This record gives sequence, C-alpha cells and structure tokens, in this order.
Amino acid sequence: MTPSALFLQQVINGLSLGAMYSLLALGFTLVYGILELINFSHFNVFMVGSFIAMWVLQFFGLSGQQVILTGWPLLGVLGAALLITMLATGLLGVGIERFSLRPLRNVPGPVAMITTIGISYILFNVILLTVGAETKNFPNPLPMVKWHVGGAVVELREVLIWAISLVLMLLLQFFVQRSRLGKAMRATAQDPEAARMMGVEVDRVVITAFFLGSALAGAGGMFFGLYYNFTSFLIGYTAGLRAFTAAVLGGIGSVPGAMVGGVMIGLIESLSGQYIAVRWSDVIIFSILVLILVFRPAGLFGRLAPTKS
Amino acid sequence: MDTLAEPRQTDTPPPGSSSRRRAAEAAGTVAVFAFAMLFPVLIQNQADIDSAANALSYALLALGLNIVVGFAGLLDLGYAAFFAIGAYAYGILSSWQLTPPWSASWQPLASLGLVARVMQGNAAVVHFTFSFWLMLPLSGLIAAGFGVLFGAPTLRLKGDYLAIVTLGFGEIVPIVVRNWSSLTNGAAGLNGVAAPMLFGHSFGIDATPYYYVGVGLTVLLIFVSIRLRDSRIGRAWMAIREDEVAAHAMGIDRTRTKLLAFAVGAGFAGMTGTYYVAKLQTATPDMFNFNVSVMILVMVVLGGLGSVWGVVVGAMLLQLLQSWFLPDLTGWIHALGRAVGSAGLQSVQLAQASELIFGIILVTMMLYRRDGLIPARRRTPALSLAQQHAEVRRGGITGLGALGAAAAVPGGPLLEIHGITKRFGGLVALKSVDLALTEGDILAVIGPNGSGKSTLFNVITGLSKPDDGGIVFAGRDITGLAAHLVTRAGVARTFQNIRLFPELTVLENVLVGEHCRLRTGPLRAVLRTPGTRREEREAREWAAEVLGIFGNRLLPRLSQPVRELSYANRRRVEIARAIASRPRLLLLDEPTAGMNPAETLELAEQIGSLNRLGLSILLIEHKLDVVTQLAGKVVVLDHGEKIAEGSPREVRQNEQVLRAYLGRSTQVA
Ligand SMILES: Nc1ncnc2c1ncn2[C@@H]1O[C@H](COP(=O)(O)OP(=O)(O)OP(=O)(O)O)[C@@H](O)[C@H]1O
Ligand SMILES: [Mg+2]
Repeated sequence: MTPSALFLQQVINGLSLGAMYSLLALGFTLVYGILELINFSHFNVFMVGSFIAMWVLQFFGLSGQQVILTGWPLLGVLGAALLITMLATGLLGVGIERFSLRPLRNVPGPVAMITTIGISYILFNVILLTVGAETKNFPNPLPMVKWHVGGAVVELREVLIWAISLVLMLLLQFFVQRSRLGKAMRATAQDPEAARMMGVEVDRVVITAFFLGSALAGAGGMFFGLYYNFTSFLIGYTAGLRAFTAAVLGGIGSVPGAMVGGVMIGLIESLSGQYIAVRWSDVIIFSILVLILVFRPAGLFGRLAPTKS
Repeated sequence: MDTLAEPRQTDTPPPGSSSRRRAAEAAGTVAVFAFAMLFPVLIQNQADIDSAANALSYALLALGLNIVVGFAGLLDLGYAAFFAIGAYAYGILSSWQLTPPWSASWQPLASLGLVARVMQGNAAVVHFTFSFWLMLPLSGLIAAGFGVLFGAPTLRLKGDYLAIVTLGFGEIVPIVVRNWSSLTNGAAGLNGVAAPMLFGHSFGIDATPYYYVGVGLTVLLIFVSIRLRDSRIGRAWMAIREDEVAAHAMGIDRTRTKLLAFAVGAGFAGMTGTYYVAKLQTATPDMFNFNVSVMILVMVVLGGLGSVWGVVVGAMLLQLLQSWFLPDLTGWIHALGRAVGSAGLQSVQLAQASELIFGIILVTMMLYRRDGLIPARRRTPALSLAQQHAEVRRGGITGLGALGAAAAVPGGPLLEIHGITKRFGGLVALKSVDLALTEGDILAVIGPNGSGKSTLFNVITGLSKPDDGGIVFAGRDITGLAAHLVTRAGVARTFQNIRLFPELTVLENVLVGEHCRLRTGPLRAVLRTPGTRREEREAREWAAEVLGIFGNRLLPRLSQPVRELSYANRRRVEIARAIASRPRLLLLDEPTAGMNPAETLELAEQIGSLNRLGLSILLIEHKLDVVTQLAGKVVVLDHGEKIAEGSPREVRQNEQVLRAYLGRSTQVA
C-alpha cells in the first residue's frame, strides 16, 4: 500500500472503532449529565450486549461466518438481533439503576461509583463463569462485499456499522432535543433542583437515561462482534475506558461531544497503532484523558459543571 | 438509667468509662498480637503460613488505601501502580536485571555494600545488591514520590474524575513495565530477586521469617495510621472528605493535604511491594493490574472505610476466603458430588468465583452496610437527662482572651474593600462595591435576596476571585489570596447554609477550625513528640473554651457527630469552629436564620459579647431587630450595588432602601 492509502485505511478502521466508542460514550454521558456519576457497570453492559447479540444470531441458526444471508432475510435477522439486543441491555441498565443505584441516589461521596464497580465485576464474572474464558466466534451473516477507495478497502460491514450508528445517534439527538422527556432530561442535567421544582419526574428521567445509554451500548456490543468476528468476556474493560475517554474528550454531559469524541478516539487508536506502536495505544489514550481533565475539564463541547458552593 | 439517681453537674462522660474502654482495647490488641506471634508455632504448615503472609501484605495495602479513600475520601482506582513501583524498585536493585559495566565511579556504592563488582565472562560488571532493609523505607519514599507526581494533576478535579485518572495511571504503569524490557524484563518478569538477609542468614524460601516481617510491618502501619488519624493531619483529611470547600475556608491547604494523603498511601503500597517481591523473589506486570486495585478496594469497603482495624480484618477475611474457604468448600462439594454421583457437583470450581464474590460484597456493603464490618465511628450514647437540661449561660463571655483580636488597635481600619466587581457569566453579582470596617466594630450587610451579600463574603474569604477591585485586611492586600491563607491572616467565616463536617464530632469540627494555628506535621504526628502533645492538649483546651461561649449547649455534646445535632446547635458549632481559628475579623452569614426568637436573642447577645472582647464582625442578617441591636453601621446591597450606608436608623429611613425592599413596582404605583 502507498503511504496515503495506508493512512486512508487506518482512517476507515478508526471510523469503525469510533462508531462503537461513540455509542458506548453516549451512555456515560447521559448518566453523568444527569447524576454526575461515572457508571462503571456500563463497561460490561456493553460486553453482555455483544453476548446477547451472539445468542440471538445463533438462535436464528447462524454460526460462525459460514451462513451468508442477503436481501430481506439479512435485514430481518440483523434488525431483529439489534432490536432484541438493545431492548435487553436497555432493561439490564434500568434494572441496575432501579435496584442498586436508586437507593444510593442521595448518598454523598464515592458510594454509588463503588457500587457500579461491583456491578461491573458481577456482570463480568457471571459471563466468565457461565460462558467460559475462551473467545467466542461471533456469527456474521454479512456477504463479503468490498469497495476499493483510493487504494484502501471498505467493507460492507463497516459501512453498515457507520450507517446504523449514525442513525441511532441522530435519533437520540432528536429525542433529547425535541421530545418532552428529552427536554426534561436536559433540564435535569442543567439543574436537578430547579427541574424537580418545575415538575420534572427525576426518576423517569434517570430511567430513560439508563435505558437509552444501555441500549446504545448493546448496539455497540453487537457491532463489536460483527466487526471483529469474535467476542469475549474481556472486551468491556478496554472498550469502556476508551469510550469514557471519548466522553471526556467531547465534554462529558454533551451528546454531540460523545459522538465526536468517540470518533476522535477511534482515529487516535488506529493511527497511533499504525504510526507509533499498538502496545503504546493505551498509554497515549490515557495520557490524552489526563491532559484533557487537567487542562480542559469541560472537554471540547462540554459545559463546566456549576461549582457547588 | 443512672441519670435520675445522680444528676450530674459536669458534662464529662461518666468517669472511668473511657479508660475502661481503653483498657479493653489494649487487652484486645495484646491478644491479637500474641495470637499473630504464635500463629506459625501453632500451625506448623508452610503453605498456611505463606498464605497468612500474603494476607498480611494485602492488609498492608488495605491500610494504605484506607488513608487515601477512607480518611481523605479520594477514590484511587490505580492504587496497585504504587505497589508495582515499590516491587520493581527492590526487584531491580537486588537482582541481575541491570548489569552496567563496572567503572571506578561505582566504588563508593560498592564500599557501602549496595553494589558488587562481578566478573561476567572476562568483563567486570556491576551487580546491584541493595539490602531489603534499606529498600523497605526507600521504596516507600520512591512510591510516595510517584504518588505526588500522579496526584498533582488530579487534585483540581472533582472526586469522580480523580477515580478515572487514577485508573488511567493504574493502567499506564503496568503497560510501561511490560514494554520497557531493558529495565524490567518485560512480560517475562524479574527473576532471581534476592531474599532478605538478617544477621548473615538469608530468609530463603521459608515462609516463617517473611510472616514475622509481615506482622512487624502491619503493626507499624497500623500504628502510623492511628497516629495520623488522631492528629491535626488526620482531621484535615477527614474535613476534606466531608466538605472540601468548607475545609479550604477553615484554613486547610487542600493541595498539600491531599497530596500528603496520596503520598502516604502510595508509600505504604511501595513498602508492601518490596516486601511482596522479596517474598516471591519474582515480579511480573500482571501482579499489579486493575483487579488488584479493586480487590484492595473491596477489602477496605468490607472492613469499613476509614476504620484502621476494619480494613485489616477485611483483608484477612478476603484472603481467608480465597486461600482456605473456597478451596475447602470446593473440596466438600466435590465429595458430595462423588457421594451422590453427580458429575456437575464434582466439576464445581469455587476458587474462580472469588471475583464474583468481590463484586457481590461491594454492592451488598454499599447498599446495606456502608460503614463496613467494623465502622470507623462508634455510635455515641444518647445524652443523659441531666446533660440535656444543663444550664444555659447567655452572653457575658469573658474567657476568650486569646483571640487574634488581642493584638488589635481598636479604631484603626481593619478591612477596606475598593471597587469589588464579581461577574457570573452575564450576571453582575457585585458592582464596584466599596466598604470599610473599623477594628472593633460590627458592620451589617443587608439587602434583598440575591443582592450579592454571600458573594461578597466569598470574595473576601478567597473562595471566589473578584474580577476587579482590591481588598486590604489589616494593612495587607489579600485580593485573590487562597482561602486558607485568608483564614490564616485572621478572617474566619460561617456559611449561610451551614457547612460543617457532618461525620466529625463537635470537638473535631472545632479543632479543624484551629488547623491553621497548629504546626504538627505528619512526622511529628506519628512520633507524637512532647511538643505535639502539648499543642494538642492546648488545642483541646481552647476548643472547650470556645465552645463555652454557648454555655452548656455544646459542651455535653463534644463527642457527638454534628449531623446528629439540632439545627440551632449546628449553627453554634459553625460559629465556634470559625472562632477557634483566632480571627481578628469574623464573617457571619445569616447566623440566626432558622432560629426561633428565643434562640435568636440568645445568639445576638453572644455575638455582642464576642464583639466586646475585641472581635470585629461583618454580619449578613435579614432580621432587622438583630441588626439594630448589634451593628454600629449598616451597608445595603441591591443587585450587587451598594445603595446606602449609615447607622441602622439612617438606613431604615433611606428612600432607596425602602424601594429596594418593597420592590420597584410599588414605587411606580
Ligand atoms: N457560583 C455562582 N454561579 C453563578 N451565579 C451565582 C453564583 N453564586 C451566586 N450567584 C448569583 O449571584 C447573585 C448573588 O447571589 P448571593 O448568594 O450573593 O446573594 P445573597 O445576597 O447572599 O442572597 P440571599 O439573601 O438569598 O442569601 C444571585 O443572582 C446568584 O444567583
Ligand atoms: Mg446569601
């Protein structure tokens, strides 16, 4: 490959990673925007999502990459798998909120955050103990369609991941901007006390945030499987940290910020892997996280949280 | 039950009860220690002694994390990084990992026994032979240095960001260790780390000597933890944990105090790393990943955040669970499976479930028992009837000779504010406000809601920076000075919405107020030198004297956490906490808000007598009769502007003031 084709190829890879990170980052941002809580359980809701998607696809009779579908059957199977996965992880998120976080809503200090670490551990180990430690071959019914662009290769699955992610994010943005509940979410994120006094039902807003965030994480988990052709109990941790960095980079609490931040982190990962070394990618990404938090804690798009004094 | 029989005049707890408790505690400590010393003799089983030694290293880590998370409230998710740093520091300096060529410049180190000249083939190389006993404190210092390095950029962040940044550092350190092969031998890990030597004997691979070193270290770190907790330093950590802004305003240097917690915690982990690696004689990057940090966190949470003995017990329990209980239980289930012929039961491996159990412990403890198994703070007994009905003195304080105002010259200018402007985005909260307070006076600031009164206090005390203008206090420009320095200069304050440290006792809250007048640093706190003892005793005497302002309202409640106090009493504690810093100027933000008329009257008299002792006071107050009773001069703010100034009587009759209070529309009509 020529240098420019190589660069283009890494940009394409980065965009696919970025789409996943964006979907995952949105969950962090929605919950943080409203509760000021870093939700570590989100890491493994994503991982569980990829397993649910795998099971649904297997339920449709797919295994590995042997069965290739086209046309309506393909759309039907993928659509159903996506819907079921998103619904399941959405409900998982709501359950986590309802039973482990709501009782701690007004408890000061790191209590709620420690709880989410515990939940994350539980999800992680339940999958590890029931499914096993070996990586699982993820069913992929997509035909191997490729396009050559400027010396680089774009696959159908990448285009599909970009397109669906974009649609999901636009739907979310539309929901947050236009719907009543979305407006209530924004009001609560701005000023929970005032929102409550204006009659916003905070519980409903929080549940919505958890449902939407977790559902998007489920979609991200499914795309992970389709992209890499495998899944494993381990995938939540690294992806989660990168997505969190993306949310901070974009400005935590900001929906467009999470999208842009996700894509940027995806690009940074693929380009630094190409031009520096894969083994330093995480160090680079964490250094970015630290630098942003220290020098520009509001991120690229974020509002600075009002200082409570 | 004895209260009716013997009504008590004093407010001290029944004599003997605390010394009896102390004796019981001491006896318990001795029993635990004796058991720990005898354990290897009783057990006689190398594997069990070895897991006990491992349990001790986790107890050491838990003690260190407890300083950071339990005392200072800083959630550190990358704590294992410091463990790794201490481990590799000793590992590298006592193995064959680095063998630079020999040159004469190594000779001084060689004569100290730190390096040796060794022939490899026909080239002379340096072999590092740092002693374990030297490296133990040295690794502590190295790790503490890294603690400061990693802590510094995170300190301005709010708590939850801190967690994620430390998590990031916790990831970076093992990656660097893995990739920097020339220094660390990469993923393969260090090998041939030297075992400790004592009196010419090597510890070798016998578990017993390591176990005793572990016991010694545990005793040391428990001692250090307790000494720090019960000192000026520990109080500052807990104040920051409870309310960072209030702690800052009470004279605590946030940066230093937090960094100190990071450094001490990291130091503990560094020492433990050296101990652990000496015991294993190898180190790999995998020994220090996120799971280790979480496991230590689980230990601390299980035992009780902030509870020194609790976290030791938590660490022991989890280690017992992992190395004895789960394998044993697995064995029993297998036996049961063989007995009933179930292949399923025979294949159960509970040891793999330990992380699942960690997760369940974390969630369960957070939901149902946040204080842990051994809570840091025991419940205080309810007050006796006699104590509740103790006589309340009103006003007439004479004993506070040692206020900062002692050196004051009444009649001179104390506080001068020129053209202070403060904006919040588009909102101008203060618009070029001038104000002057004469030493020994009470100046009241009044104005409608949102007129900028509290903002004025925040600007004076350094909690927020003015956009324009200057503040001179006692001849010194304090504009933009950090809040803890303003307090040290002699300005103390209370908050409109009471900002005490809820989990700390009345006495501790007031002692935090004295923070900037005390000198004890970490080293002296641990050694508890005679000077420190004296300082602490005097601090307590002064605290009791200050609390005496409120008669017997607070003195019987000295050891009660302030969250249990009534609203009026919390206001009183806040005033006492401010006075404890020996201010020359006291800023009171609506001190009587929420008090009933009798309580208001009582407090107004007490404020009056404080003033007669020489304390200058700046008072925000909505109750005009209080203002009239106390203040010589009144300043009226409206929409951030000073609209009137004068005696209470003059101000009451001022047209503009009436208009501001009644609203513009009324005037137009
Ligand atoms: N941190 C802040 N960020 C933004 N606006 C602020 C902040 N602090 C105060 N304000 C605004 O500044 C104005 C003055 O507030 P301030 O609290 O000083 O009023 P106040 O005179 O103390 O009122 P009150 O009698 O209700 O206590 C208000 O409009 C308030 O909303
Ligand atoms: Mg106010």
